[in-house]
Formats: sequence, structure tokens, C-alpha cells
Amino acid sequence: MSPEELALFPFLTETSEYVEELDFSLDSLMTSIAFESVRRRGFERVMQAFDGEVSKPSFGNDKEVLSELLSYPYARILVSCVNEPAFTRRYALAEATAVHSIMKKRIEKDPEFVLDIGKDFGVSAVQSEEHIRIYFSDYIRYSLSMKDLSWKLINRHLEHGYVTIQREEFARLLQEAVRKRIEGSLPIPEIPDEIRNACDAQVTELKAKYEEQRQNLGDADLGEVDFSMFPPCINKALSNVREGVNLAHSMRFAMVSFLLNVGMQTDDVVNAFNVSPDFSEEKTRYQVEHIANNQYKTPSCATMQTYGNCVGKDNMCAKIRHPLSYYSALKFLAAKRQAEEEKYGKDEEKTANENNNLENNEPG
Amino acid sequence: MDELTKRFLKAKFQAHYKNLNLQLPPSFTSREWGFISFDPMPDVIMKRHKYFGSFNEVSEYLIGMAPAHVYYSVAYYDMPGAPRMDQKGWKGADLIFDLDADHLPGAKMTYSDMLDHVKAESLKLADFLTDDFGFSEDNIELVFSGGRGYHFHVYDDKISQLDSAERREIVNYISGRDLDFKFFFKEVAMVGDTGSGSKEFMGKRGKIPTKWVLEGYENGWGKRIAGYVVDYLKTEAEKGKDNPKEMFKDLKENKIAGDATLKKLAGFASDESLLSEITDKGRLDFPVKDFKGIIEYIIQKTVAEFGVDAGASVDEPVTGDIKRLIRFPGSLHGGSGFEVQTLKFDQLPDYNPLTNSLAFDDKPTKVRIQRPFSFLLNGQEFSVVEGKEELPEYAAVYLMCRGVANYGY
Repeated sequence: MSPEELALFPFLTETSEYVEELDFSLDSLMTSIAFESVRRRGFERVMQAFDGEVSKPSFGNDKEVLSELLSYPYARILVSCVNEPAFTRRYALAEATAVHSIMKKRIEKDPEFVLDIGKDFGVSAVQSEEHIRIYFSDYIRYSLSMKDLSWKLINRHLEHGYVTIQREEFARLLQEAVRKRIEGSLPIPEIPDEIRNACDAQVTELKAKYEEQRQNLGDADLGEVDFSMFPPCINKALSNVREGVNLAHSMRFAMVSFLLNVGMQTDDVVNAFNVSPDFSEEKTRYQVEHIANNQYKTPSCATMQTYGNCVGKDNMCAKIRHPLSYYSALKFLAAKRQAEEEKYGKDEEKTANENNNLENNEPG
Repeated sequence: MDELTKRFLKAKFQAHYKNLNLQLPPSFTSREWGFISFDPMPDVIMKRHKYFGSFNEVSEYLIGMAPAHVYYSVAYYDMPGAPRMDQKGWKGADLIFDLDADHLPGAKMTYSDMLDHVKAESLKLADFLTDDFGFSEDNIELVFSGGRGYHFHVYDDKISQLDSAERREIVNYISGRDLDFKFFFKEVAMVGDTGSGSKEFMGKRGKIPTKWVLEGYENGWGKRIAGYVVDYLKTEAEKGKDNPKEMFKDLKENKIAGDATLKKLAGFASDESLLSEITDKGRLDFPVKDFKGIIEYIIQKTVAEFGVDAGASVDEPVTGDIKRLIRFPGSLHGGSGFEVQTLKFDQLPDYNPLTNSLAFDDKPTKVRIQRPFSFLLNGQEFSVVEGKEELPEYAAVYLMCRGVANYGY
């Protein structure tokens, strides 16, 4: 690949080898005046993560190519210093989305080029007329995070280990590969203090912006426990417990860890079981505390399905992959609705007051 | 199980391991081994985290200890003998399917009915693994579990790195879960040379002629659907010849189509050349009312017919468990005395575990029966009641392993 192309695909093995051969010191990258534009572009990359996609430049000269090449490792340092898993994920997605836009176009004209990128991820795939045939394990690895039923292996054409897909779908799978690779390689471990100090101002700015967005999105805290927003599987388990039906061990575990994760206190969880005549508080408390102390995560929807604990799937279930996401999604929607209502309500109040003022003919 | 019985079984198992042509799994030195011994029974104590560096070590251990149950890990580790899972260093794992009658839904069956049922499921699975997934039979070890089912071990570098969620996606595929008919039965604009019939599809003429097709009819689930649709239509049309009322009974009962439609459908269903269009060209656009609903129904039936009841068990998400221990082929199952036997795929249809997996001969052996028990072994019905009994050795061992009898009198 040419340096221009490498600059567009900075996460490739070939690119990092190329950059390594250029042999710039990290020190100069962080501090030298000559690399001012690299740092500016690196910061821009990370800032663009807030918008969802990193922009891709067209190059006027070699210096711009070099800037673009080096801005990626610099951006990685920034993301590592911010060190917020949710933000790292967002950054990885923004980089991957940008590359997807390029690959989607490129694969129509030059499928071999995009297949070569796939090879860097160990993806076995070949062209087959207008389509691409990809080995099923590579397909699963990158399609699993896609929620649409059309991506499920069972809804695909699988023949002797190979799945036939559209070219653009291959580009989409590679986006996932890129996202996973970038996300998996961050944060960079043990960044020396001098490096941290050198980019401190930018990191502070990024952290502030991240915090601001996080507050707005309201994913900070789930707040009060709201039973009406539990997913069907957990509701079913709760009603089973109330009716004295014995839960399978795996379901009991899922329910307890769910209740603890949404913020219920150990005592309340234990009490939830206090309905049957043979209720043993000591035993239940021991089990609940064991789960609480180990901070076990609630099993995902996939695991729930595997154990036969996924029941009463509804529309929201189709959109999520984890019982806790069901809860947080409904919480989020409710909070949003409430915020809107408050706003609307205030406006009405204001109008009402204004009317009052008019009627009473009193000066405000 | 009394002391004498334990000693007897241990000696019998020992003899088995002395004569065994030991076949070790690939990379056996990277696997964890686990054993359950006769000695502490009825307590079941698993000795885990063992590892062996050589063929002879395995052989000597088996002969020396004569364990009741022998397992090895489906996973390979850097340090298989490390006492804690997080210290072992997971390197990869075989892809495993455990089809066990214990897991299968349905009414109570006899032991041999259960074994037949699991065998049918295993044959379906074998087809998925070789046809759809393209694994070579050389890389698949099919094993009778010594209990109520069969294990499939897939040894292939390409799948050893799959994580649990990825493995579950394979289970979904073979079980038919989440199959959505709209990805298979599609309306497409007419191209190529497959005729012009669909111009008059449901009596309408559009600007662009379209036809309904079975996408992917040449392989995988698409092929199964195509084949099933044809079989279904043929069978139903056949029924109609004798008694029109019997024809498409389920479609009628489920209110999927009315009498007039079904009568029309029956006409097409007896047309061989139309039917072969389905399997040969994937063309499936009979001009009858509600045809989409009919096909959707038949596709659901296909899933029920071909989907493997695998891993959907409540207790054991086997395939997704990438650190599981599985029975060592060639070993004896301490709960039955049967040999955990490796089979070739073509042996499976005629394989009868209740005859073929017997590891002991018919030397008369004296036992004391604890409770009434009926069973079928080696083609022979046995029915025993409390008291002294002389039985062929394989039957005596079976009852002792099952905890129904003690040795000697």
C-alpha cells in the first residue's frame, strides 16, 4: 500500500510497521514544534468521536500524509489518558465507522483491496462473482454484535463452511473487526508521566466534554429501583418466587444478580424470597451475599437463552442483548419523557401565569 | 455399592485398561484431566487439575487407579495442571456437541427409545457439521458417551479460538433457532431464464415481473426447506388421492388456507415438474391465495423436523462451555460399565449401544439384586428381583454400576 493508503488505514499491521520504520521518537511527537499539526489532528480525531465518525482527509502533500499517519498513535495516547471504557468504545467505533465509509465505496470497484485488509484480521474470504464467501467462524466473530436478525448465521447461506454475503456486508463486518481491534488495544498500558504531562491540557478538555455528555445522556446512575421496567424474564422469575415455584439455579442467580445490579439492597433481595413456608433466611442471605460480594454480572440474553431462562420476549427485548440494558433503556426513555414533560409543563405554567397577569391586570 | 463390589469393579476396569488400545486426544499434554474413583462412592469426588506429560503416564494412571469415570478438558492450556482455572492460561478448545437423552424434551421414554431418539438427532448433527460447516470427517470424533447419548468432538484450528457466544451461534444454527422465513422465501424481480409464470402471479400484472423464490435452495437450511416443501406437498397430495379430507389437514386446522385454495394447491402438488423446479431452481410461486402463509407454515415445520435438539438443555450449556471436561473415548462409564466408544459416521445408523458398547463377556457372575429391575442388553430382556442371581458378566457389571446389585453371594 502507498503511504496515502496506509494513512487511511492506520490500525493495520502494515501501517504500524511503516510508522515504526519512520523512527520518530515519542518525545518529539509529544513536544516538538514540528509535530504541532500531528497533535492538532490527533486531538481532532478524538474530539470527532463525540460526533460518531472520524473525518478522513484528502492529501495535498507528503507532510499531510505524515501528519495523518502519526496522528493515530497520538490519538491513542489521548484516549488512553482519558481512560474511560465507555469513551474508549466510542472512539473505537468512530474510527471504525470512518474506515467503513471508505471500504464501502472501495469494495465495489476493487474488492481485492478490501479482501486484503480482511487478511490482516485473519479473515478467510474469497470473491465469488458479485458476492464474497467468508469462512463461518470469521463471519460469526464479527456479525455477533449486529442485532438485526438478518445477520444471524441461521438466516444466511452456509455451504461447506463458507457464508455467502454481499460486498457491502463484508465491509460492514470489517468495520466490526476494526472496532474490536482498536477497542481491544486500548488503553495503552503504563504511559510514562512525561507523556501524560505533555498532553494534559487536551486530556482535561476531553474528560470535561465526556463528563458533560455523560450527564446529558443520563447514563451515570440508574437511580431508584423501578419494578415496572424489569424485563419479562426477571418479572417471570419474581412472580414464580411469589407463587412459590422453585427457580432453576441459573435463573435464581440471574434474578438475584439483576436485582443487585439495579441497586436493590441485599436485605430487600433476601426478603423477596421470604414467601415460601420453607424459606431459610440464613441460606438465602448467604447466597445473595455471595453474589453481591463477588459483584457477579447478570447473565446476558444469550446466556439466558442457552439456559432456557429467556421467556416472554417483547419488542424491547429485540433491541437489547442484556437484561440490564432492557432496564436502563426504559429508565432512560422515562427520564427523557419526564424531562420533556417538565419542560412542556413549565411552558404551560408560564403561559398560564401570563394569562393570569393579563386578566388581573397587574404589573409583573 | 459395598466394598466387595467396588473391589470387583475396580479389578474389571483395570483389566479393561490393560487391554485397551489407548488413543489419546490431540495435544493431550495441554489438557486437564479429571477422574472419579470408585473408592469414596456413593460420594462422588472428582479429582481435577491433573495433567500428563506422556502416553505412558496416562496408561499407568488408568491401570493403576482404575477410575470409575475419566474425563479430559475440551480446552488446551499453558499449564493444565494449575490448581485454579484462572492460572491455567486458556489457549483454545475443541468444538463439542453433547447430545444426551437427559437433555431432550418430550415424554418419558424407555432407555432404548431414548437412545434411538438421540441417534436420530446425532445423524442430523453429523449432516450439519460436514455439509453446512464443511468439517472433514477426519477432524470429527463421534463418540458414544457410555450413558444416554453421543458426543461430537471437532478438532480444527479454525474453530479452536471461538468464544462461548460464538459457539452458541453455531448451536443456534443447528437447532434452527431464530430462523426467519423472510430471509429464505423472497419475491425477486425476474431475471434469467426461469420462465414467465409469475407475470400472472395472483392474477395481477405488474410492470416488473417478479417471482417468489427460495433463496439459497442449493445448500444449508435453504436446501432442507426446499426438500421439505416438496416432500410435504407430495405426501399431502398422495393422501388426497385416498381421502381428500385427510389432505392438508394441518393447514386447515391451523386456518392457514381455505378449502378452495387447498384444492388448487393439491393440483400443483401432484405436478412433478413443478415440484422439481423447487429443488432444482428454487422457484416457488404457485398462484394460490395465501401462498406466503402456507410456505411460512411449512418452513416452521422444516425447522421442527431438521433442527437438532442440542445444547438447549437447562443444566448444561455444553457447546458454549469452553473449559468443560468430557469423557475420554476408550474409557468406561462408571455408571453403566459401557465403553465410551469412538465410531465412524457410517457406523452410526446401525450402532446399538446396548450391544456394541458392552465391554465385558458373558461369563456367569453372581450378584445380589437390591431392587426389581428390567433392562435390555445384548439383545436380551432381563428382569430381576431382590435376591441372588447369576447373570452374564456384562449384565452383572451394568447392575453393579447402576447401584442395583452387589457382587457375589
